[in-house]
Amino acid sequence: MPGVKDIAYYAVHPTQLRSIIQWKVWHNPVHERDESKESASLKRCFHFLAQTSRSFVAVILELHPDILVSVAIFYLVLRGLDTIEDDMTIPLAKKEPILRDFHNIIEQDGWTFTENGPNEKDRQLCVEFNVVIEEYKKLKPAHQAIIKDITKRMGNGMADYVKNAEFGINDNGVNTVKDYEKYCHYVAGLVGEGCTRLFVEEGKANPALLKRTELHESMGQFLQQVNIIRDIKEDFDDKRRFWPKEIWSKHVDKFEDLFKPENKDKALACSSEMILTTLRRADDCLFYLAGIKEQSVFNFCAIPQSMAIATLDVCFQNHDIFKRNVKITKGDACQLMLESTQNLQLVCDVFKRYTRKIHKKNNPHDPNFLQISIACGKTEQFIESIFPSQKPPVDEKKNPVNAEEVARLKNEADETKWETIYMVSAVIGTILLISGIMFTAAWFAGARFDIALSQAKEQLGQLFGSSGPINASVPLDTKPSTDHSEL
Amino acid sequence: MAPTKVLVTGGTGFLGSEIVHALVEANEFDITALDINPPSLGTATYSSVTYVRCDVLDLDRLREVFKETCPTVVLHTVAVNLLGESRYGMQGRDAVFSINVDGTKNVVQVSQECGVKAFVYTSSVTVLLDQLEENFRNADETWSTGRATTLYGQSKVSHSIISSYEHASKATMAEGVVLSSNTPGFRTCALRAAPIFGPRDPVTIPTIHGCIANGETPFILGSGTNLQDYVYVSNVADAHVLALHNLLGLGTAAGEAFFITNGEPITVRDLCLAVWKEFGHYPRFQLRIPEELAWWMGWGLEWACWLTNRTGTFSRGVVLDATRARYVSIAKARRVLGYIPRVSLPEALRISCQHLQQQINAQAKA
Repeated sequence: MPGVKDIAYYAVHPTQLRSIIQWKVWHNPVHERDESKESASLKRCFHFLAQTSRSFVAVILELHPDILVSVAIFYLVLRGLDTIEDDMTIPLAKKEPILRDFHNIIEQDGWTFTENGPNEKDRQLCVEFNVVIEEYKKLKPAHQAIIKDITKRMGNGMADYVKNAEFGINDNGVNTVKDYEKYCHYVAGLVGEGCTRLFVEEGKANPALLKRTELHESMGQFLQQVNIIRDIKEDFDDKRRFWPKEIWSKHVDKFEDLFKPENKDKALACSSEMILTTLRRADDCLFYLAGIKEQSVFNFCAIPQSMAIATLDVCFQNHDIFKRNVKITKGDACQLMLESTQNLQLVCDVFKRYTRKIHKKNNPHDPNFLQISIACGKTEQFIESIFPSQKPPVDEKKNPVNAEEVARLKNEADETKWETIYMVSAVIGTILLISGIMFTAAWFAGARFDIALSQAKEQLGQLFGSSGPINASVPLDTKPSTDHSEL
Repeated sequence: MAPTKVLVTGGTGFLGSEIVHALVEANEFDITALDINPPSLGTATYSSVTYVRCDVLDLDRLREVFKETCPTVVLHTVAVNLLGESRYGMQGRDAVFSINVDGTKNVVQVSQECGVKAFVYTSSVTVLLDQLEENFRNADETWSTGRATTLYGQSKVSHSIISSYEHASKATMAEGVVLSSNTPGFRTCALRAAPIFGPRDPVTIPTIHGCIANGETPFILGSGTNLQDYVYVSNVADAHVLALHNLLGLGTAAGEAFFITNGEPITVRDLCLAVWKEFGHYPRFQLRIPEELAWWMGWGLEWACWLTNRTGTFSRGVVLDATRARYVSIAKARRVLGYIPRVSLPEALRISCQHLQQQINAQAKA
């Protein structure tokens, strides 16, 4: 039930409430999973999916049946890998071989893992991992091969990272921007690649997306980097640091200095630089979305991206990220989901809107002021290149393609012109005819037009004449009487 | 193989001297720089370059120079030079325009007579964009130019706007002269550069810098979201060298026009803020002036200036310039010429502003 606080909030933010209601009332899933045909193990898998992923479960469940189970299993396999990597209670000697061999483990019937620490939130998934393996083996061989390949590469990447951390090579976490992007590649870029391969395999995306590897890489990087920026405080409290030293060392000497209130400006400048690094990938993400052919897949890809750009906006120039976890409001989230489940143009509008919001908050004192402004401009230009907001003005004389059109327009204009001429002449003709009849009738009745005319002349002369009223008044006195006497 | 003979008209000007520099760096050309002025003080001159003084309006003298040098390539930069000319001023414009159009005709004519193989003309984005009331978002070379002339007669617009239309139509005419004379034996192309800035840039950076002293920096005209294009001088020079190579080689650029910008559209406000920042100035507050209000203010000031017989810095032209979107796509130049803006906007601004600061310091000492 909504609390008093919520009611008060929505009372003053009606548009937010409207978005929530609209989403809840009007959104129909593109596809709905058919639970009646599912095996017990698959049902268990979906149970874990709902438990481990609050943000992704909704979009995954609406996916096209061709890829629904594959994507869900792919997610759970990677989640299992991640749960083992994250658990600091497992010694390296035990952890490393599991990570490196995980792509084979997912083919071992009945494999489970019970050695996670009691506080690990996704512990139960590993305890019952046999259900995931069972379902994995029922997938199409082509899908299995994709999941296996990605799992192998990610497991090895994670093992390298864990090993470096353990031996103090990266004692302060990530050092260079290159390391940072490498880390994001292993945990997110590879997911982008795996999903893209699944989509293309099932004909849900343009095969060209596989050739432009930087596009799906950016999809993953964009999401992961936004999470890393947003979770700075939470990660810091958990003694993890993903912001690269190469960036923060430009602003503060020690990483923990970012959180001191007296370093507010430096911390903001540092977060701006992080946001700039991410913002530069926005156009790639939109380009990628242009290659998706199926609505449910489009929604699956677009919703997280829209949320990410909106999150980037709330984090930008916001010192609160160093104090607590900032989030986009529920109303904004619903609005974004409404706009991200239709077409690319609306998603582009979302990106343009949030890019402009970021641009508006850009501060000249920021060391990356100009760079951020340029990144915003580039995103906007990219959007303009796929959805031009104006057409090139048509030059009729120079454009032979339009010659027929021009001739047609000319004919039409001619016709209208003649119609007007006929109409006006008919009216004038009628007036002339009627006046003629009246004048003739008056003449037969003995009207003296010559006298009336000269009288009218004199009266006009009296009104406007320079000769003065006295001269003009002389004939005026005589004529009317004759006129009347004649009549 | 003897080095290719290249003649640069306007070779001691702001852009011309940068092109000469780029050609010298390439180290494969025999360079002649033709200009009405000798190299100005403080600019680099090269012993390997032949400097010739000549007015492009003097056809006989021009013919004489061309017969003597027999260039294979002509890079004609004279036309774009709006040196010292305010964009909205009227004085001297007719003279400048006749140099642009008649001068271009002369140079094309003698080039054809002397068997020049390739001709690169420095045009300007204004051929398209100087329809001041219009927005141009991500325009490309397929957008037709020359509509400015048709509007010229119809609109009851201010002098400043009329002069801009004239400029546009004349620039279009000059570009048309060059492109229509393209033949397989005499390959021509036009490079439509965005407003060029750089060290010794006489207009863009100094004008923006001038706002600090005038106390104009807190005011934002219009929405402040409209993007515009600029280009750093050495990037334009690069484009000329690339165009030259293309015309002598593949020839895919022959008869074509290309937009040349830094490929980094930015809002006018942000460009100004970035320049002011280089001089350590930050506006103390910001005041947004709606476009309509600004337009009427411009109108009023134009009359005030006319009555008091002064030249003002603020007019309706300035307002339209500041509030319209004017950016183009450089995809064609990238594709056909292989053009890449090597100096990015932040670096370009830093170099240009440092140079202006040095100039100001030097003046202060003297």
